[in-house]
Amino acid sequence: MNPTTQEENHAAVSHAERDRLERAAIDASTRLPVILFYSSAIFWLLVGTVFGLLAAIKMNIPTFLDQWGWLTFGRIRPAHLNAVAYGWASPAAIGTGLWLMARLCRTPLKHAKLLISAAVFWNLGVAIGICAILAGDSRSIEWLEFPNYASGLLFISYGLISVWAVVMFHFRQPGHVYVSQWYILAAFLWFPWLYSTSNLLLNFEQIQGGAQGAVNWWFGHNVLGLWFTPIALATIYYLIPKVLGRPIHSYYLSILGFWTLALFYSWNGMHHLIGGPFPAWMISASVVASVMMVVPVITTAVNFHMTTVGHFNALKWSPTLRFTVFGAVCYTLASGQGSTMAIPSLNVITHFTHYTIGHSHLGMYAFFTMVMYGAIYYIMPRVVGWEWPSSRLIRWHFWLVAIGIVFMVIVLSVGGVLQGLALLNPNVTFMKSLEIARPWLWMRSGSGILLTAGHIVFAVNFTLLLLKFGKRRSGPTLFGKRAEVESEMHAV
Amino acid sequence: MSHSSHSHDTPPPEEFREHDDFNIREVHGAIMREKSEPRDAFAPIPLWVIAVFMALLIWGASYLVYYSGGFKSTVFNRYQPAWGAEALASAPKGPVDPMVLGKRVFTANCAACHQPTGLGVPGAFPPLAGSEWVVSGDWHGDNHLVRVVLHGLQGPIDVEGKPFNGVMPPWQQLKDAEIAAVLTYIRNEWGNSAPPVSAEQVAKIRAETAGHPQPFTEADLKAIPAEKFEAAPAAAPEGTTPPAASPAPATPAETAPKA
Amino acid sequence: MNRMTVIVIGAFLTFLTSWVGLVAYPYLQLGRFMPATDEASGDVNPPPLSGLAVMGQHVYAASGCVYCHSQQVRQIGIGSDLARGWGARPTVARDYMRERPAFLGTMRTGPDLANIGARQSSAKWHHQHLYQPAVVTPGSIMPSYRYLYRMQKIQGQRSERALDLLPPNVPPPGYEVVPTYEAEALVAYLISLNRNYPLPEAPEPTE
Repeated sequence: MNPTTQEENHAAVSHAERDRLERAAIDASTRLPVILFYSSAIFWLLVGTVFGLLAAIKMNIPTFLDQWGWLTFGRIRPAHLNAVAYGWASPAAIGTGLWLMARLCRTPLKHAKLLISAAVFWNLGVAIGICAILAGDSRSIEWLEFPNYASGLLFISYGLISVWAVVMFHFRQPGHVYVSQWYILAAFLWFPWLYSTSNLLLNFEQIQGGAQGAVNWWFGHNVLGLWFTPIALATIYYLIPKVLGRPIHSYYLSILGFWTLALFYSWNGMHHLIGGPFPAWMISASVVASVMMVVPVITTAVNFHMTTVGHFNALKWSPTLRFTVFGAVCYTLASGQGSTMAIPSLNVITHFTHYTIGHSHLGMYAFFTMVMYGAIYYIMPRVVGWEWPSSRLIRWHFWLVAIGIVFMVIVLSVGGVLQGLALLNPNVTFMKSLEIARPWLWMRSGSGILLTAGHIVFAVNFTLLLLKFGKRRSGPTLFGKRAEVESEMHAV
Repeated sequence: MSHSSHSHDTPPPEEFREHDDFNIREVHGAIMREKSEPRDAFAPIPLWVIAVFMALLIWGASYLVYYSGGFKSTVFNRYQPAWGAEALASAPKGPVDPMVLGKRVFTANCAACHQPTGLGVPGAFPPLAGSEWVVSGDWHGDNHLVRVVLHGLQGPIDVEGKPFNGVMPPWQQLKDAEIAAVLTYIRNEWGNSAPPVSAEQVAKIRAETAGHPQPFTEADLKAIPAEKFEAAPAAAPEGTTPPAASPAPATPAETAPKA
Repeated sequence: MNRMTVIVIGAFLTFLTSWVGLVAYPYLQLGRFMPATDEASGDVNPPPLSGLAVMGQHVYAASGCVYCHSQQVRQIGIGSDLARGWGARPTVARDYMRERPAFLGTMRTGPDLANIGARQSSAKWHHQHLYQPAVVTPGSIMPSYRYLYRMQKIQGQRSERALDLLPPNVPPPGYEVVPTYEAEALVAYLISLNRNYPLPEAPEPTE
């Protein structure tokens, strides 16, 4: 932007004012796709929560709703996973990724109406896929249960979105490229490759059984590591400095973190198969890569911490920051836990137990989902032009899901370790390992009720915002009393 | 927001007017108050991060050397030595201890009903611990026991004074050595103590009963004279062997009770 | 890192390494097995599945058995799979060459099924267990698969396939519970799960 050449047009407009107008135009251009992706994401979050809760209760009461095939545990559980992974998490990531990309490239989203059709295709694919699982047409390949008529739709939709993101990056304003942009660009390139390869080899032209496990977990772990994680990290890299108005601590740490993540995370998959029917070197390579994940994790943790340090009181008033920092801390915890779980002498205890389920919820919920909440709290007022109607509902949302997920991870971890120790000892009968886990599974269902309540509160607040409910607010919706919030803290 | 008022009076520049449908002023509140887009600072990478990275690289490389099975596609066990003389030597192939093999066969095939404790399930599956069927007390002989495993058992039976009535499937698919091992195991576990059973003894009875169509009943078995296998080699009690049997081979040394 | 080519090519190359190692390599090395012929018995291993068992594999997938049951006996030194009697030897890649898909599994809320056909070869037991798991195995939290069975009026003589159910699942007098085609197929598949045959690359443990 060079104001001097266009002096006569808007001499009165200051540089700062031009920036603001530019941002307003960008937000306006992303309005429809972002709202559409977010709304559908929250719809599927509610659906996925119901499936998850049903599956949890079925573990406590096996006779619960067992008379119909379409509600059997073996269908409800993949329906839960796919509803939250492809219904909630991916659209939330797409919405956030597109908005961040537009903002950071300083380019309005062109032809945004075409992306609306992508959102429609995506949701159609998810709906068809979930119905297919419930109707008994699941592929029973973890993370890839959707039959090809559903995954095909998802791929078309995703291809469209990826092209948009890459084109947007190509037409960015010249200048510095921020770390969030690296992650988003890479994620939008990795996921279509990942999804198409895995679906081709496991779904369309299924390869021999001996090789399937490797491809299955190459996908299963990379969908977390190279799709959800980069988008969430990009969001954290954006939101913490943005809300606090501080630069990110170290550009060099950002670079180290990005490339080590790209290299090591992509090799992690085989740690789901330790001791399994695969050549030893493949599994050992994944064990090494999983432990090497310590490098990108401490790198980003140091970067986030040093950026936030001294400003932790901002967590008291900023909903965005509170959710985002909660997620950032859980990223360190989840990845650290993941590295330890890949060490074979510990893996023999945790493998095949509920501990793994606790770990995946720590990653997909306490990290990814909490960061997405932070992003939605930040982005929605900007694209809708309306502040969040209720600060109390945000507070309820935070405490319900935060307590719920912490409780869930703790009970699944403790129950899982006890179950795993029982399984490891051949003198303990198998039934005993089941008995040991049962009380912990009851507590897990309890935590599920907290999460369900939190999601309903969130959905209500979101709907009220879309309907522009209540009186127009003059400032941001923050935690705590307005008078206590200093004027410089208005950046949310 | 107090400081946003002046902007409402300025018309937006031309290139932003394509979004006329969208009221820019509506979002202005949020945009006015937000800080500038994130920037980078350039603090150096702490030395300890680099040290951790280097240490992990060295660890990872040596881990791959030790636990990669020489990067062969046919080595599945990570603990299999991959390099040096050990890798060239073939896996040791000694005779398997019948108590070890027996336990494995038992857990794989029998424990589902008779339970790992050998106590069975009262009213459903008879116990093996202390059972006269297993250690050949009462009218039961070792030859009966082998027949039961080979061909199964059905109908009402009496075990340790308690009645049972169920079906045990035949286990002809197991090898002679496996049946011998599992019998040796159940005869010497849970406080039981009885001489081992050899693969040859099983093979002999398998040959004798080859044409037996269905599981035995208690009455069938009672009609067959009891026979005891002895621990000492070559001391099979010839007198009680049915006349149709082929000559009993000498019991090999490996079936002797383990030290 | 302000240039698009650096990011795109770097992202491509890092990801390519794992694609080569974890996709292309297994596709070439583990995706083109031929069955092995056992010199002693002349058997072809792993044995081909019957048509009914292949149908059963679809029922297994549709019912989501894999979310609670694994099908892998882990290597010696890792876990207690062998000591639990879940197999005579650890499973290897070739064991799964006929599986579409291979249900390796990641959970053991229920026991491993890699060799369930060796442990329980009775179709009758499997039907009873699928219909009333907690009655057959006290303490089990497996759900009932009674939607795979049909209650029907006894026409003349009781069907040979009718299940002998225990309370509280005994059908009313004059009625019987028979397996549907899906249940028959599923049980045929479960009984076919027996990987205790020899393979050259999978020696039986000696200790």
